[in-house]
Amino acid sequence: MASGITEKALKLVQSLPRLSLSNIKNLPHSIKKTKRRRRDRQHGKTHGRGHKGQGQRATLPRLGFEGNNTPFYLQIPKEPYYKDHELRKEYVPVSLLQIQRFVDLGRLNVKEPIDLSSLCNTRLIQVKWEQKQFGVDLLDEGADIFCARLNIEVQKASELTIAAIEKNGGVITTRYYDPHSLHAVVNPAKFFAKGVPIPRCKLPPQNEIAYYSDAKNRGYLADPEKILHARVELAQKYGYALFEYENEEEKEMLLTRKDPRQIFLGLAPGWVVNLKDKVILKPKDPEFVNYYKS
Amino acid sequence: MLKRAFCILSISKNSFAKGSFGNDFSIIHFKSLSTTCRCFQELTQSSVDTLDIDGSKHLPKQRSLPIITSRKLEYVSQYSQPKQAWLESLETVDENKIGLIDLHPDVFGAFPRIDLIHQNIQWQKLYKKISYETLETRAEKRGGGRKPWPQKGMGRARHGSIRSPLWKGGGKAFGPRGPQSYFYMLSNNLRVAGLCSTLSIKFAQNNLHIVDSLEIPSDDPEYMEDLIDTRFWGFSVLFVDDTDMMPRNISLAVQDLPSFNLMPTYGLNVYSMLKHETLVLTLAAVEKLEEKLLYQLHRTERQAKFRLYQ
Repeated sequence: MASGITEKALKLVQSLPRLSLSNIKNLPHSIKKTKRRRRDRQHGKTHGRGHKGQGQRATLPRLGFEGNNTPFYLQIPKEPYYKDHELRKEYVPVSLLQIQRFVDLGRLNVKEPIDLSSLCNTRLIQVKWEQKQFGVDLLDEGADIFCARLNIEVQKASELTIAAIEKNGGVITTRYYDPHSLHAVVNPAKFFAKGVPIPRCKLPPQNEIAYYSDAKNRGYLADPEKILHARVELAQKYGYALFEYENEEEKEMLLTRKDPRQIFLGLAPGWVVNLKDKVILKPKDPEFVNYYKS
Repeated sequence: MLKRAFCILSISKNSFAKGSFGNDFSIIHFKSLSTTCRCFQELTQSSVDTLDIDGSKHLPKQRSLPIITSRKLEYVSQYSQPKQAWLESLETVDENKIGLIDLHPDVFGAFPRIDLIHQNIQWQKLYKKISYETLETRAEKRGGGRKPWPQKGMGRARHGSIRSPLWKGGGKAFGPRGPQSYFYMLSNNLRVAGLCSTLSIKFAQNNLHIVDSLEIPSDDPEYMEDLIDTRFWGFSVLFVDDTDMMPRNISLAVQDLPSFNLMPTYGLNVYSMLKHETLVLTLAAVEKLEEKLLYQLHRTERQAKFRLYQ
């Protein structure tokens, strides 16, 4: 905060009289006076509305009316930008530059797999399930300076983004959360406080299955062997060498993946997490076990 | 060795006096001083011990001076320097400086936003205000139900009630309808910025003093008056400590002096700081204030929105 300007201002304050209740005042023109229309000596006769007609009687035609011509705004055909807006899915844009910044500032821990929960727990990204947001879209902005090695799980990612992450030896997975699971994922603490069992994540809807089972998109439903091929293919396309794992620990971290039905790493669907007593309650009834199994 | 240390201290003290009162304020002086002083303190402590062992106690007993309070400042930006202030003591009437401390630049050297201070003052004045002003409407006025004269045929203006707002003694149209509350909540960020700005201005204008504690030798009000007169602390002084159990002597001394007041840290506010000419903080109060304000400045969690009825 203490820049040259601050120092200058404080120096100026030194030479001024002591600030007290009697000499403090607001910035000039900070309060806007509302214009009052009164029937006084100036505004008595026509009250600023002129004589006779549409102006005086507030019967002006609608905006855009061109006197019985077809108005301009009706001559142009409609362009349905917002058609089916209630069915569309929205993804919060998050760039690689932002991710790099979070890592540098210590807001994200690269020693652990990063998923939507860890992104939302930074409090710098908000995913609002009630606004039909289905997660985050990882953008390629900042791909050329991205240098973090991480295991990240997002909802959408472009080819260049995937290349930027895999060039540094990282792993990326795209994954779908249904709105009910997303509600739990975006604010885990709030969800656990409810005392409700962790939901079993649904599979993606019909129109999303193709995306999430494609190895090129690193979909979570794709065949792992095809993903390995796709990694090599992408490395050849962009001309970089794939990283070797440095140690077992790192390898284990980078290869950690969630089950398609699992929404929290290390917690299975059907479990109830009690944060107050620090206990996990697991279902025993075979009916429940069968219901929550993957 | 001791003599040499004394020399270093006297030289650096001179440079200090220049630095604090003249315009050529330089931080390099202070830094060098703090290191030399720290050396000196160690030396004096060791020498006093040896003297005690020797048994030569003819020297007057002195506090191991100066006290350099090294404080760990959190969240200091690499582009800003910590502010430095004298640590004073209330144990004597005359001004006695017993050390130097670092102050956080974001709290005591923030940009002086006078508009935010004004907003804080307005808020503090208004949130507790209830206007009892009220005027009767034509319905509340006594009488006026009867038409004063017929509509037509009298050659007079048409009127339906003698309590119409047009009439003398009639009701008031759109008058004040009290009791009306002026309560509103100033946003958390503005309150924090207001406190930081006020503390910075108080510090920049040399109206902020930091003392080791509020202990004074006597409970005589004259002692307090003399102290404030000799130190030119002005007509009104606000003493702030981190606890609300104030020392006995200062409580009794200040009891009958309305312009000198004691306040715990949790009660410190912009209005009181500007109402008093001088602000005196104890070292513990400084610690607590910095901790609380820095938490507010650097927290990542959003605070829940204030609701009056929750």
